[in-house]
Amino acid sequence: MRISSGKLLHALGLTAVVIFTLFPFFWMVSASFKTQADILSSPPVWFFTPTLQNYAEIFADTKVSGAIINSLIVATCSTLLAVILGAPAAFALARYEFRGKSDLWFWFISNRMISPIVLALPVYLLAIQTGLLDTHLVLILIYLTFQLPIVVWIVTDQFKSIPADLEQAARLDGADQFTIFRKIYLPLGAPGIAVSAIFSFIFSWNELLYALVLTRRAVQTAPVVATSFMSGYELPWGKIMATGTVIVLPVTIFALIVSRHMVRGLTMGATK
Amino acid sequence: MTFLRLDNIKKNYGDAAVIKGVSFEAEKGEFVVFVGPSGCGKSTLLRMIAGLEDVSSGELYIDGKEVTYEEPAKREVSMVFQSYALYPHMSVFENMAFGLRMAKKPEAEIKAQVLEAARILQLEALLERKPRALSGGQRQRVAIGRSIVRHPKLFLFDEPLSNLDAELRSQMRVEIAKLHRALGATMVYVTHDQVEAMTLADRIVVLRAGLVEQIGSPTELYDTPANTFVAGFIGSPKMNFINAKVASITGSTLALEHTTFAGGRLTLDTPAAARTKVGAAVTVGLRPEHLTVNTGNPVLALTLDFAESLGGSTQLYARSEGEPIIALTAGRPNLKPGDALTLGIDPSHIYLFDVAGLAL
Repeated sequence: MRISSGKLLHALGLTAVVIFTLFPFFWMVSASFKTQADILSSPPVWFFTPTLQNYAEIFADTKVSGAIINSLIVATCSTLLAVILGAPAAFALARYEFRGKSDLWFWFISNRMISPIVLALPVYLLAIQTGLLDTHLVLILIYLTFQLPIVVWIVTDQFKSIPADLEQAARLDGADQFTIFRKIYLPLGAPGIAVSAIFSFIFSWNELLYALVLTRRAVQTAPVVATSFMSGYELPWGKIMATGTVIVLPVTIFALIVSRHMVRGLTMGATK
Repeated sequence: MTFLRLDNIKKNYGDAAVIKGVSFEAEKGEFVVFVGPSGCGKSTLLRMIAGLEDVSSGELYIDGKEVTYEEPAKREVSMVFQSYALYPHMSVFENMAFGLRMAKKPEAEIKAQVLEAARILQLEALLERKPRALSGGQRQRVAIGRSIVRHPKLFLFDEPLSNLDAELRSQMRVEIAKLHRALGATMVYVTHDQVEAMTLADRIVVLRAGLVEQIGSPTELYDTPANTFVAGFIGSPKMNFINAKVASITGSTLALEHTTFAGGRLTLDTPAAARTKVGAAVTVGLRPEHLTVNTGNPVLALTLDFAESLGGSTQLYARSEGEPIIALTAGRPNLKPGDALTLGIDPSHIYLFDVAGLAL
């Protein structure tokens, strides 16, 4: 079989991209099974005797398990809230004409244009004033402000792709707006809602900056704890990498499972 | 008894008037067809009856009750959409049951009504399927089924057959006609296809640019079109038009001039002679199916361009120096392109229109 040079270049390019994106991940996972000596050796050790010592240490540390629970609480609550609040907003944006609609739309997008660090100090001061510092609530609220635009954006687009005839047929069938939203738009918009929920969840699961600024001891999330190992006089790379792996694994598995269900084209067969 | 009444209904989008004042009444049990070219406002008018579009001005009555500003669901109308608008995530059964569930009917009644509709439309075997697993014709039937389960006062159809292929279209046309007879319900049907209009309608409303051109039974529109637009729109192939000039009027005898006429002249005995004057432009309308080939008393002298045999009949495309003329004749006349051709017509089938296009 002859392979054209174009195809070969294409394959080489793809391989380069795959290595570029997966190598850090590979490095993290492999390092989590190495001893500190293996990690620090130069040139790097490619073949080594794996050890579970790092995992044993981090799981023995209640700080890590507590942080993962904190992360779960914050990510789940903020994602749920973002979907519950974002989906109806998306419905309104997709289906109604009202004054200021385009301004509102722009405002949603502009929230994403601001570098998060710019708001870190004002948000910190606000958190102190309101007594919310180092609580789950403050993280949930601040994450919500970042997640809502994602949800509204993706779900509005999904809702717009649902034929308007369906809504009108339902109106003639006697359905009110809420029923139309619940019985027609929610089930048909499910793929988009799922995608936006995944993005939101991953965002808050991985978020470091605000978690670092707004928490002390009580509600430290997983990324904060992973970086907290870096303080002091030594860098326990094995523990940091093991924590990193533990943080990344659940979302990776979660994303792989749901990606199969994110089948588009649920609206196929509605019209024509 | 008047069942549906539109009283000077108008619709504007901003400054653009889409419906410019439509008045019309339909009896209970009547099958009314709105027909017209794309953009004439027929679908908009139907959607206003359904309540899906706001009425800019005018009044709308269904079954003696004013419903101009009533919610769609409270008008007790059902609509079959051009796109069918089936709920893709629901089974055929649930699609048909949706309206009954919204009306909070008891489960047993919902089941009985859906099964009854499914029986009428031969959908019993498909009740558990999702719309995407159905063919176009089956989806169409589900859409009709969804509209009949609720026993609405008024059925609305928005170009329901335009997404089907030709064979299925004529089959569904017959089914809709049967359904109308079986239910005895009042139906309003929108189409741009004059064949659908002619075959289904008790009464046709011809619309153009937001105005009613003519209202009448299919045969009335065919026999006595009010203007050249209706004359050209109803009938297939389209009516031939010849823009002639009045040469002389003697009592009720009218002589018209045009190079297409045999001898350059057409002489007619018609009461319309009193309604025109010498020198006036008159449009002569001749239906292709009324023209006879090479008989005595020729009216048109032409040259054949080409002939299309349709099997049982032949469509002839001919011309003189002026307008092209189409004739439809039974059998297969022995003619070649370039042959001289004379066409005759029964004078009672000649239509005359004035310069504004109105029937004389």
